[in-house]
Amino acid sequence: MQTKEQSPPILLFNDECGVCRSIARWVKNQVPSGSGTTSIVVRPIGQDPEELRALNQGLNIWDAYATIHLLMPDGSMKLGGEAVAEVLRNLPSTRWFTWTFEISVFGIRPFQATLNLAYAILADVRPVFGCESCGTPSPWVRPIRWIVKWAGSLFGGIHHPSPIRHFSSLPGRGRPPQTLHI
Amino acid sequence: MSGNKSIDKIRTVSASTFDRLVLKGEGPIVVEFMSYGCAHCGVIEPDLQQVAAIVETTEKIFRVNIAVDRELADLYQIQGTPTLIMFLNGEVVGREEGPSPDVSNILAVVRQPYEP
Repeated sequence: MQTKEQSPPILLFNDECGVCRSIARWVKNQVPSGSGTTSIVVRPIGQDPEELRALNQGLNIWDAYATIHLLMPDGSMKLGGEAVAEVLRNLPSTRWFTWTFEISVFGIRPFQATLNLAYAILADVRPVFGCESCGTPSPWVRPIRWIVKWAGSLFGGIHHPSPIRHFSSLPGRGRPPQTLHI
Repeated sequence: MSGNKSIDKIRTVSASTFDRLVLKGEGPIVVEFMSYGCAHCGVIEPDLQQVAAIVETTEKIFRVNIAVDRELADLYQIQGTPTLIMFLNGEVVGREEGPSPDVSNILAVVRQPYEP
């Protein structure tokens, strides 16, 4: 049990998403190395549901891809903005301001709420930056995507590294059934 | 995605088991080409699980993870995920790319190629 308490939190990231890879790389670079211990482990979600379940019984691979997950040493999981806050708490370069996330005003934590909102916005805009597997952009993001595509076409196009194109125009629930033909 | 936490009704096939389970399999067989990182695949997953439960006596539904088995994706010219390919006696009899995430729609998609 003592060993489990000493193990660092594990940050899972979507290795099919360029934005997520960049953030994961930034976190890795912030983790001090050389001391033999690490404050946080950064690893891709991967493709094996059983391997993930071995890390945490309650961890579902679909959920892991849908929202950022931080696996805590005590067996709990932090998601979304709460996970981001915990990651920042574990990094020496950002730890100094993370006390603000605990400030509560009438039961509301304004800085944490802002972080949650920032995470939600970032998650929504990922398709704009070439993450085709991240789903259909939310309605508020679509104009931004059109502008980025238009700008990309002016400057020779935006390169999408994935050779497999995901269906980004998949209609959402509640809409009439539609077949996509390519 | 509460539907994902129940028993998995869809078995994963790989390049090594595809021939035995799909091409030499008996009866109607549906293969979903997907990847776990594909948000659209995650959206249709609960519905596909329901469909798999509904048709389990007449059809088998498998999945191929194209992030792992890219050669199968190339072989079947998968242009995106999710793509459903319907097989009968080793032959492709139907194909649907990006099905609408709706149980009745997916049910129609996986049944239509096998209807007389």
